[in-house]
Amino acid sequence: MTSLAMAAKPSRRSRLTTWGSEQLDLIVTPILGVALAILLATVWFYSDFDATTERILEPSQLARQAYQQLYLAFFSTILVIVVAVPVGILVTREHAPRIKDGMVTVLGLGQAIPAYGLIVLFFVWLGAGAFTVIVALATFALLPVLRNTIVGLEQVDRSVIEAGKGMGMTGWQRLKGVELPLAVPVIVAGIRTAVVINVGMASLAFLIGGGGLGETINAGLKLNRPSAIFVGAALVALIALSFDFVGGLAQRHLRPKGV
Amino acid sequence: MDGLTSWFEYLSERWDLVFTALGETLIYVVTVTLAAGLLAVVVGVATRHHMFAKELALAIASVFLTIPSLALFTIFIPLVGLGFVPSFIALFLYAILPILRNTTAGLDAVDPSVLESARGMGLTPRQTLLQVQLPLAWPVMLAGIRVSALLTVGISAIATLVAGGGLGDFIKSGLARLPLPNSLEAIWTGVILSVLLALAIDGALLILGRLTTPAGIRGKGKPA
Repeated sequence: MTSLAMAAKPSRRSRLTTWGSEQLDLIVTPILGVALAILLATVWFYSDFDATTERILEPSQLARQAYQQLYLAFFSTILVIVVAVPVGILVTREHAPRIKDGMVTVLGLGQAIPAYGLIVLFFVWLGAGAFTVIVALATFALLPVLRNTIVGLEQVDRSVIEAGKGMGMTGWQRLKGVELPLAVPVIVAGIRTAVVINVGMASLAFLIGGGGLGETINAGLKLNRPSAIFVGAALVALIALSFDFVGGLAQRHLRPKGV
Repeated sequence: MDGLTSWFEYLSERWDLVFTALGETLIYVVTVTLAAGLLAVVVGVATRHHMFAKELALAIASVFLTIPSLALFTIFIPLVGLGFVPSFIALFLYAILPILRNTTAGLDAVDPSVLESARGMGLTPRQTLLQVQLPLAWPVMLAGIRVSALLTVGISAIATLVAGGGLGDFIKSGLARLPLPNSLEAIWTGVILSVLLALAIDGALLILGRLTTPAGIRGKGKPA
């Protein structure tokens, strides 16, 4: 979730260091992931689970919950992209009303809303089930994608756009051929953040009957079985770490040549 | 409008609970931001001349933000039990990155020529750090502290799931009693007070920034 917060203005120097940290991200994340996986395997194979823990950690049930978690994260991410990228494009058009700065500020304050409260409020509004979870997750993950779409399109050098105009490209051609390709790395970074948020927040889906690995964590909490809590939490963390890692790889390979 | 009146009624009947929960969340914000800030500034300062160590510290701190909140809040329970401690650890790990990143970015952004003149004036490296670099980097560092504090307000609502108290208590009890009377009011209490607390902290840090930014760079250090 590297782009969750905002760092200092990108100077030439900080751009260099960002590149270095991206490389290290791709090393540190798998190291931590493997360490966690080893710890998880040790707990799984070498600790004496009592009957209750055994029942909470029934493998077929864990598989079902993991599937639900991925399902929720997948569809909420799709929903975020379908909403946030077009809106980001629209508000950065030359003749669009100047609402983007205000929009980013308001959405930024929205981040102070606890995800926990947001999910529960959507439950009150839309009822139980997967659909509610998907809408709630998408709302929570909207900001990084929208902000990165706006920032990514804004940072495209004006002179490049002017050159496109001079070549007689229409607005649509400029968007498709010049602006979007140049903005892709930034937009993908935002989508990566959204995926990681969604995979993680899907563990709160159990609160409103949406399933997911949160069920295992919750069962462990309610029945006071620390090893079940650990297994559930470690699985959630591992899924999130793998998605972040894949996102990091994608970010590297989707960089257009020459940028 | 009906909702609003019944919400105020709900609040006025239980100010004691409201202030307890607000206080618990505020304690998380203050202790977590102080602890994470201290660690981040020490690490940022210690690694400022070592490119690799700096990047490594940033990469490790950013991995923590990847781990979902429910997982990070619960994963330490087998070791430390329920309550304040697992919540504090999770929030602390989350809060490191924004401050660390802005500390290194702020220190990096200090103009090399300023450091040269400091040396030319005979300042020792320690004096340069304390009297030149840190004051110049302070506005950027403060912006990181702000991000961490707001992050803590939002995420600390989860603490209630591990018996850690805070404003999440209202959301949890409201959800448990839904659709009984006052359940919706309880949920809104948790959400709205979180946002109000975030606004108040934001304002307090803004004032702190005004008061502590050296006169010469005031207005230049736009919150990053």
